[in-house]
Amino acid sequence: MQGSISNRIRILRFHNGEMSQAELGQRIGVTRQTIAAIEAGKYSPSLEAAFRIAQVFNVPLHEVFQWELNPPSK
Amino acid sequence: MPYREKTAWLSLFAMLVTFGPYFTLVATRYFPSAPLPNLRQLAWYAVTALAQLLILGVGHLYLRRASAQDARMPLDERDQAIQRRSVSCAYYVLIAGMILVGCVMPFNSSGWSIVNAALFMIIAAEVVHYGVVVFSYRRQA
Repeated sequence: MQGSISNRIRILRFHNGEMSQAELGQRIGVTRQTIAAIEAGKYSPSLEAAFRIAQVFNVPLHEVFQWELNPPSK
Repeated sequence: MPYREKTAWLSLFAMLVTFGPYFTLVATRYFPSAPLPNLRQLAWYAVTALAQLLILGVGHLYLRRASAQDARMPLDERDQAIQRRSVSCAYYVLIAGMILVGCVMPFNSSGWSIVNAALFMIIAAEVVHYGVVVFSYRRQA
């Protein structure tokens, strides 16, 4: 079962007063570059970091991260 | 550019400009073979190692001053993942090199040939280590 993790961090940052990547990173204890990598889908955060991000935006985890199944290749 | 990537570039640069020329001289047989301890070769190695230390020392001081806030930040989980990956890749190079140097070379080489081969494999492992760090930060992995 092939899939990928997508996220809505960019949108959630926008809805939270255009919070910067640096500020979000500071609040969950990672660098700005790590937030950028998570947003770009290049790095999958640990479960703890994922929960921390959701907590910052005050939303459940599934509103931040989604698991999307890739269509089966023919 | 993240602070950790800058320090990895610095380490690569320091190795290139110090051990690059050293191993070029070794490969071109610049050092005449002499009985151990071969002080000329030993002196060149000492100069090379000191030059590397100097470049790293000055470079790290400069980077710490230029990005003081980033330098103080502890490694986050992505930094740690990159470290694990790079060390793991470098380990294979190092272990292969040590098998070659420790188990094969004693049968057909001796003295500084073995020392230089061991040094070369250590440097190669370090290049892989820092190379993977730089590559990982470049592709945001």
